[in-house]
Amino acid sequence: MQTNLTINGTPQRLELDPRTTLLDALRHHLGLTGSKKGCDHGQCGACTVMVNGRRINACLTLACMHDGDEVTTIEGIGQPDNLSPLQQAFVSEDGFQCGYCTPGQICSATAMLEEVRNGWPSHVTDDLDGGADLTTEEISERMSGNLCRCSAYPNIVEAIRKAAGENA
Amino acid sequence: MLHRPQTLDAALALLSAGDAVILAGGTDIYPALRDRPPPAEMVDLSGITGLRGIGREGDSWRIGAATTWTEILHADLPPLFDGLKLAAREVGSVQIQNAGTVAGNICNASPAADGVPAFLALEAQIEVQGPGGTRCMAVEDFIRGPRMTRLDRSELVTAIYVPDSPGQGAFLKLGARKYLVISIAMVGAVVLAEGDRIAKARVAVGSCSPVACRLRDLETALAGISARDIAKAVSAAPLPELVPIGDVRATSHYRSDAARTLITRTLLQAMEARNVA
Repeated sequence: MQTNLTINGTPQRLELDPRTTLLDALRHHLGLTGSKKGCDHGQCGACTVMVNGRRINACLTLACMHDGDEVTTIEGIGQPDNLSPLQQAFVSEDGFQCGYCTPGQICSATAMLEEVRNGWPSHVTDDLDGGADLTTEEISERMSGNLCRCSAYPNIVEAIRKAAGENA
Repeated sequence: MLHRPQTLDAALALLSAGDAVILAGGTDIYPALRDRPPPAEMVDLSGITGLRGIGREGDSWRIGAATTWTEILHADLPPLFDGLKLAAREVGSVQIQNAGTVAGNICNASPAADGVPAFLALEAQIEVQGPGGTRCMAVEDFIRGPRMTRLDRSELVTAIYVPDSPGQGAFLKLGARKYLVISIAMVGAVVLAEGDRIAKARVAVGSCSPVACRLRDLETALAGISARDIAKAVSAAPLPELVPIGDVRATSHYRSDAARTLITRTLLQAMEARNVA
């Protein structure tokens, strides 16, 4: 089945078995192995990518369902010589240990900071109309779709807070 | 083969033709496969625009079947829907809420579906279309048992209707942690308060019976009582509807106990009428 996707700004025409997940299309067909396959069940968040600006689990969606959509992966967020503020902050704050969950953490956090800018409340936000301060509790809550088995959580939170502060 | 129909009629024709599986948000189909191959025939509903969105129709609110949980959370809806919104932000994770749909949650018919107690408390009706036309029934009647609904293979859910009413919605879920966890118990409620008293309440509990259920005897007992008497009324109620199983997440005794506490807290939450955006 032919599927047209815009991946990190580049149009891609793919001929795929229609049952191919977006994650497999990225990794196996396009060689974009930054998005990780952790659980393949939507529980760990390692495969998080942005589709039309919203974060989703690439393992739980078929590539063909996104014909015409814009997909942003970790490769589109920054490159080794051109890190995004979040990537920079994950390095400076040591926001990882093994690094396996990191691409998903950064894709998720990139979309999450946009959600905060748009005034979306989370489960722990007190003022539901006035926006949220990025407290540890807010960041942890909003990032709870991304697990880190090395438990680098304190540094992940610090990295996100740092990147958010620089963008503010 | 994956089909992506653009119209409802095309989708229904595909479903009538054979053993196709409906794919909406996709967040349940793939995990349920484990290591088996995906179904041979799938009908993806994400291209049908009429199946998404929330609007007012007469005395009811219409929620398109393929509306996502994120769309529920950000819709401009009255306090009646606060319980549904609270449930929306506890479904999986934000990544799941961005993809998973309301009808998918109902049709998956898990006893632990977070959306179902909220919809039961709203007295939601489900609209089903098929080759024989359109039929409507209460969500309560639609779900027959664990993983079983009244949906025929040739039919699909097109919308959920919620009759408008002045009540205040509330929802609480108990899990081993906040996100990405299957519920131990959850409670959806709608309360119409008069001052400090409950004029009318609707209460539904999930994860404590094969299908989430309304507690009608308790609802009768709650009518007219004040906020400070809620805990007493709940602990005195027999609640024969709740027949929780014991499993890896909790023993049946713990579930029974936790459900009562959750019911009290959910009713108090509704009485305090906190707005969710």
